[in-house]
Amino acid sequence: MNTPDPARWRGPSPRWLLLVPALALLAAILLLPLGQSLFRSVGQGDWTLDHYARLFTDGVTLRVLARTAVTAAVVTVIAFALGYPYAYVMTRVGPRMRGVLLVIVLIPFWTSVMARNFAWIVILQREGPVHSFFRLFGLDVVLYGSVAGVTVAMSQVLLPFMVLPLFSALSGIDRRLLLAARGLGSHPLVAFWKIYWPLSRGGVVAGLILVFTLSLGFYVTPALLGSPKESLVAQLLGQRTTQLLDFAGAGALGMLVLVVTLVLVAWANRFGGTISAIGVVAAAPVKDRT
Amino acid sequence: MVSRTVRVGATLSTLALLATLAACGGETTPADPDGNVALTFVGYGGVGQQAMIDNYQKPYTAAHPNITFVNTSPPDVAQVKAQVESGSVVWDVVAVAPAAATQNCGTLFEPLDFSGVDPKDLVKGTIGKCYIGNFINASPFAYRTEAFPDPAKAPKTVADFFDVQKFPGQRGILTNLQNGILEYPLLADGVAPDALYPLDADRALKKLDTIRDVTTFAPNVGALQQAVGAKQVDMFFLADSRLVPLMNDGTAITVVWDTTVASINAFAVPKGSPKVKAAQQFMATVVAPQAVAGISEVLGTAPVNLAAKPNLSENATKVQVYGPANTGKTVLQDVDWYAANFNEVTTKLTNWLAG
Repeated sequence: MNTPDPARWRGPSPRWLLLVPALALLAAILLLPLGQSLFRSVGQGDWTLDHYARLFTDGVTLRVLARTAVTAAVVTVIAFALGYPYAYVMTRVGPRMRGVLLVIVLIPFWTSVMARNFAWIVILQREGPVHSFFRLFGLDVVLYGSVAGVTVAMSQVLLPFMVLPLFSALSGIDRRLLLAARGLGSHPLVAFWKIYWPLSRGGVVAGLILVFTLSLGFYVTPALLGSPKESLVAQLLGQRTTQLLDFAGAGALGMLVLVVTLVLVAWANRFGGTISAIGVVAAAPVKDRT
Repeated sequence: MVSRTVRVGATLSTLALLATLAACGGETTPADPDGNVALTFVGYGGVGQQAMIDNYQKPYTAAHPNITFVNTSPPDVAQVKAQVESGSVVWDVVAVAPAAATQNCGTLFEPLDFSGVDPKDLVKGTIGKCYIGNFINASPFAYRTEAFPDPAKAPKTVADFFDVQKFPGQRGILTNLQNGILEYPLLADGVAPDALYPLDADRALKKLDTIRDVTTFAPNVGALQQAVGAKQVDMFFLADSRLVPLMNDGTAITVVWDTTVASINAFAVPKGSPKVKAAQQFMATVVAPQAVAGISEVLGTAPVNLAAKPNLSENATKVQVYGPANTGKTVLQDVDWYAANFNEVTTKLTNWLAG
């Protein structure tokens, strides 16, 4: 693609037309309302930053944002710790086993959100299996209604978003490079660290960003498994919209979360992968780029 | 060159699409209440809405064949605001808290005229400038009988709910203001039932601090009902209409009739509904004794019309706030106070909860 195709310089080719339906839809259902939220958040023509200032001074928003960020980070770390070895194993087994492993990780996708969350309620609640398990050790741990419970459930729900980009990144890695390293006398761990890990980084970044950004905006799981005592930002947004009818304040909060997310994505983008790495298809490109 | 033309064309068609979308929100002409009108009725869904279809809508359509109903749910004041602001009001009769209707009277909800309704037997506060009540939800202090099997050692007063030393165990409280989250702590703190308003929200939250660690705060009635059924909480303030199905499903519940907080549920018409006249005529009929009795029989809620004689099930009788079972006092929430202070107390409560 480095040689400029002369035809390209005469303007976009008709294939761009293929984008029009999607772009029109995006404009109508995403950009337009987003612009409207932004417009409301700055005073609907009266141009004020009061709604933004209030986020920083009301004493609650920042705390909830921090709690949300920490929760999202923990979920991301857990999903990564579970997802990386899992994806690695997926690249090392036969096609049939790989199919089975893929199905296992995709089951959360195929199950209704409500069913999954209610199942977690049953598992985490008082006298549920988790509570009973901890009681064997004399501990009284009820995860239902706590951020810890929300974290566990979110890690499970979001695991596919970690495993899939990782799997495509890892399966694109040429294992002969490892053999070559071993042949040249490298210790397996060194070979992993110097060769395998850097090659997998595109998928890692994609997985981390996907899981983290999705965690930031998670609503159903915290609303059902968490507690108003420990709300996350989506619950705060919901409350501001549906109870206080404070569309401007909710818009400002939404914009703040959006900006934080975009900044993070841009920042993470510098560590490998490109924006195109974000997405479940991510990793075929890893192979292409080399 | 060809492609540039195509691009311009595509941009134009996108704009045309957007314009069409925007035009969908155009003004409509007021409907003649004597003509054929389909009222869009927004309730809370489930058994409650079915009861309203059976007791409000079907008899009304039978008497006024030109009026029919389209049912949808759930009601949401934010949605009303979005409809009003975009100029495309598609809801006509919306279930709403009277305080929300009063707070947004004239801005989000149509002022209504119910001068034709005889208020003689109606509970005070049933008719407001922008709403008409239809049933009353009480959220009495109750506990799972299993948690306190010995009546002599069971909690007897609202103050006992807040006494963690004497009555350990998990509490359940709804975070909705309509279910008494601010009234009960004040009552426990010694405020007389008739001196509750204006509410001292700070004092209420301070009292709630004392039980914060042993309390499950439920964001909606369904969640608390679930928590009671699954034995997650021992004592709670839960809406009567949710206590009845719990008891019907075999959870033994004892209601503590000390002071009980109750609130009116109402209907309102979103501002700019072209069918406001027809809606108002229909809404005037929802307080009729027979209609409200029918709702109470299904839901176990209290009727707004004291002349109503619902034929209650045994379990519904146990939670009947205006019935013989209630040996204590009843506080009906002050609609006007909530209308004036809703945003302030909601923010205070949310901040306290999130803290």
